[in-house]
Amino acid sequence: MAQEADFKCLRCGTITKLPYSPDAELQERACPKCKSNSMRRIKEQKEARAAK
Amino acid sequence: MAYSEVDNVSGYIGNFKVTIRKKARYVDEKQCNACGECAKVCPVAIPDEYQMGFSSRKAIYIQLPQAVPSSYVIDMKTCLGNNPIACAKCLEVCEKKCIDFDMHDEFVTVDVGAIIVAVGNDVYDPTELDEYGYRSYENVITSMEFERLICASGPTEGHFVRPSDRTTPKSIGFVQCVGSRSQKRGNPYCSNICCMNTIKDTVLLKDHYPGIDLKVFYMDIRAFGKGFEDLYMRSKAEGVQYIRGLPGDVEEDPKTGNLIVTVENTTTGKIEKHEVDMLVLSVGLLPRKDSEVVRQLLTLSKTSDGFFMESHPKLKPVDAPTRGVFLAGCAESPKDVKDSVTQASAAASRANIVLAAGKIKVEAITAHIDPDLCKYCGLCVKVCPYKAITQTDRKTKVPAKVIEAACAGCGTCGAECAFGAITMRHFQDNQIYAQIDAILEENSQNKVVVFACNWCSYAGADFAGVSRLQYPATNRLIRTMCSGRVNEDFVLYAFRKGAPIVLVSGCHFADCHYINANRQTVLRVERLWDQLEKKGIRPERLQLEWISAAEGQKFALVMREVEEMRKKVTAKEVEFTKQALAPKKKEEPKEKKEAAKTQ
Ligand code: SF4
Ligand code: SF4
Ligand SMILES: [Zn+2]
Repeated sequence: MAQEADFKCLRCGTITKLPYSPDAELQERACPKCKSNSMRRIKEQKEARAAK
Repeated sequence: MAYSEVDNVSGYIGNFKVTIRKKARYVDEKQCNACGECAKVCPVAIPDEYQMGFSSRKAIYIQLPQAVPSSYVIDMKTCLGNNPIACAKCLEVCEKKCIDFDMHDEFVTVDVGAIIVAVGNDVYDPTELDEYGYRSYENVITSMEFERLICASGPTEGHFVRPSDRTTPKSIGFVQCVGSRSQKRGNPYCSNICCMNTIKDTVLLKDHYPGIDLKVFYMDIRAFGKGFEDLYMRSKAEGVQYIRGLPGDVEEDPKTGNLIVTVENTTTGKIEKHEVDMLVLSVGLLPRKDSEVVRQLLTLSKTSDGFFMESHPKLKPVDAPTRGVFLAGCAESPKDVKDSVTQASAAASRANIVLAAGKIKVEAITAHIDPDLCKYCGLCVKVCPYKAITQTDRKTKVPAKVIEAACAGCGTCGAECAFGAITMRHFQDNQIYAQIDAILEENSQNKVVVFACNWCSYAGADFAGVSRLQYPATNRLIRTMCSGRVNEDFVLYAFRKGAPIVLVSGCHFADCHYINANRQTVLRVERLWDQLEKKGIRPERLQLEWISAAEGQKFALVMREVEEMRKKVTAKEVEFTKQALAPKKKEEPKEKKEAAKTQ
């Protein structure tokens, strides 16, 4: 099964699941609602803390 | 070089070094006269791949009758061990003593100026389309299997028989678009050759067996090439029935082995049942499974359908994005024989231009690395899509160096170097900073800074212009060759100078003119989003968009959308951003360093 992650559209605010895997080739992502490509992955809390 | 594969490729246009693995044949190809005595005594019998499993071959075999060189080869996977004591029957009977079980793969390195990629294609396996009963019913075959059965050098010497009882079928059905033109199963693209392949097959069958009953189930017949419509008409005139509709179900009559095909005839809207002796599935073409190896060796890119991408679909259809590499045949897309030959001829002549010229012209947009500023981090080497930068070495302090013949001028390296060691010969950093300054000099609160890549987004703006599409004048464009050229600091600088919104735009992933340079854009924008958020700045103020040259409308729409976003950015927010991003006292802003360097 393809892995997925939550993404937030930085144009219209829609939150959606899109294919994502840290090892897979980068995919072009678009918001299902407004088609914007400004899709930002919502990182897990833990991951975000670790990054700090 | 037959029975060989490319092991490694290095270098660049005019100076490629190709290492080829000559696989061990275990038969001396120069000595072997293909008498076939060895195969007669070989005790192994396995399905012959070339004959699509309709006949068998030995472990020592010739792949196909026309093979060059005409010499046997031992398939070590099926040979009963290369231990001569275990079998070695072939060795005993070979009068010319050309069998050698101790042979090893050899590596040959050649210097070449240009490379033509002609990897061919694979075909779709229709097993997953269970409504057609391939693999469940013996008399359902694929178009590839059909070719073997009708071929004079095939397993039946061209006498067309059905697999279940080896009788000549009286009726045959053909199902088109198997694995093609489907969003759900198989592939969304048209495989280009299947319609004409079936039409040719029907004419061939009618020639061999005039009384045969032939039905073609199709959704469209695409007979667009020279002479193709005539052949289609001829097939119809010879009595081949063309039924518009793809079968929903195929069942076998267990007594006769015949097949009952249920189809909705979309011309009449009626459900019909047709009984045929055999069913041929016209399977689509796929990119070669192992083409990924070639892609990596030659730093090529692929389109969304998995075939190799050409440098430009209209102006450079046989050139690969890597200079000195050319594409032929189905490496680039599904093609018939004529188109493959045409493209191969074009590729050969394009390659010949490189070889005959002896030298090449490089556009003056390449990267230049200042060895004194290079800190040997090697990041530029990693991001260059063309492998145009030579390896750095920290220990021995070897700085990075650009091979200008291989550099395409995308500027990705320039955006990556954190030490300001790379200058792009056009679109220099200081020129870009100057453009940002000019845009934000007055009324910065009313401006949207847009970085637009030359090939797609900027061309999309042009297209919007010639289409007379309006977009707000507050959007100010800065052209870069690739979105991968956009340095993180360009964006931060724009924010520091009071930009309410910054948009980074480039080509869609599949269209990147620099192989995959725009993937670096995504990584940079993602890093910037994190950085902005950390500083308490709304990441929404940095937007990312892929716009193709043909998407003038999209360009105008995006411009209107970001303008709406701009209106919501308050002056207070902009002021806060300026403070938050202001360089720390000790730190000299990057743009200053840049300016000093170029002065
Ligand atoms: S990124 Fe800059 S510093 Fe690092 S190796 Fe390349 S040129 Fe040198
Ligand atoms: S400009 Fe692009 S192609 Fe040229 S060296 Fe830099 S990354 Fe490679
Ligand atoms: Zn959206």
